[in-house]
Amino acid sequence: MPEFIHQISKGSRYNQIYIPKEMEEMFEIGDTIKVILLKKKTFIYYSKNLKLGEFKKNLIKKVFQLLASFPEIKQVFIVGSFLVKKTDYKDIDILIVYNKKINEEKIQDFLTEKITLNFHILAIEEKSFNSLVKICPLTRSTLYYFVSNRKFVLPEESIFDKNHINFLLMMPYDLLKINAGSRTFYDNIRRLTTIQRFLEKKPLNPEEIDAELEKNLGNFLFSLIKNNESIDEKIIKKLRNLIKLKLQTISKLIKWEKQN
Amino acid sequence: MGKAKLISELTNLLAIALRHRIGSIVNKEEIYVQKYAKDALILINEAKKLAIQKNWNFQDKHEIKKQLKLKLQKELEEKTFINNKKFELMDNEIEKVLKEISLN
Repeated sequence: MPEFIHQISKGSRYNQIYIPKEMEEMFEIGDTIKVILLKKKTFIYYSKNLKLGEFKKNLIKKVFQLLASFPEIKQVFIVGSFLVKKTDYKDIDILIVYNKKINEEKIQDFLTEKITLNFHILAIEEKSFNSLVKICPLTRSTLYYFVSNRKFVLPEESIFDKNHINFLLMMPYDLLKINAGSRTFYDNIRRLTTIQRFLEKKPLNPEEIDAELEKNLGNFLFSLIKNNESIDEKIIKKLRNLIKLKLQTISKLIKWEKQN
Repeated sequence: MGKAKLISELTNLLAIALRHRIGSIVNKEEIYVQKYAKDALILINEAKKLAIQKNWNFQDKHEIKKQLKLKLQKELEEKTFINNKKFELMDNEIEKVLKEISLN
């Protein structure tokens, strides 16, 4: 059977496939043909201030191509340290927005099998995603840098949701009275820094958040707890004091938000 | 540490852990649900360290369950921002966590 490979082009009413001039006599009006998708075209959209090298760009393209075979996926975001660190990343964080519930583990295994790298999948339903990008400091910070397969602009205006913020503050409050590993302290002080900046309407650039954290803690302590090294009672007391201070500031900012 | 004090500390920790775990279940629309579930796990592991310090008899286990239920109820009542479905999950989550740390 005669065949040809062509790209779909944009038409004024319908998208179309042209029959090559030299094959006009083989493919005539009234003939029955079958169209098969051979390769999905992948688009790449970047958040502002983000530039990637060829290696990362090709890898992301490959991920988008592979995920195109899951029709329940609405949009894919590559986020996290893979985008901004040169080599210091453990895995590739992928945020998936879906219409119909997906099996995250299955997708993670599928990607790891096809591309032998570690992936970490975060999945969320479209409706919840649309709400979180406005109310959640952590989500907004995660999406400060992204690469996506569809156009996306982080809404400029954020919304203050007291219940949501209180939910995020639960663990930092608990750390004032319970013991945990030093990395848990790092994660929660970072969480507090992000929430505070969100309430102060400051940019949620993850690199600026880390820089602020390092300034608050000092280089040595910052690196100690980031790497989950063991810490003594004196250091725990210092960390709890910092948590307390940040919680007080956040509490004031919440009161101010409620009044306005 | 005496048994009574240890039971009190253990149930304090487990009540907080279960509040996090239940929060992560009822707030499913969060991107960070896995992270909150991890917060719960961190606390349960701390509770495990306390639990292995003594041999617990039937009465002790009964007392742990009783105190945990009261404390968890209070924890959940205080956190009004967690969806009210939380109370329906209490009993099942208590059974599960006590099994996880061999105190069922």
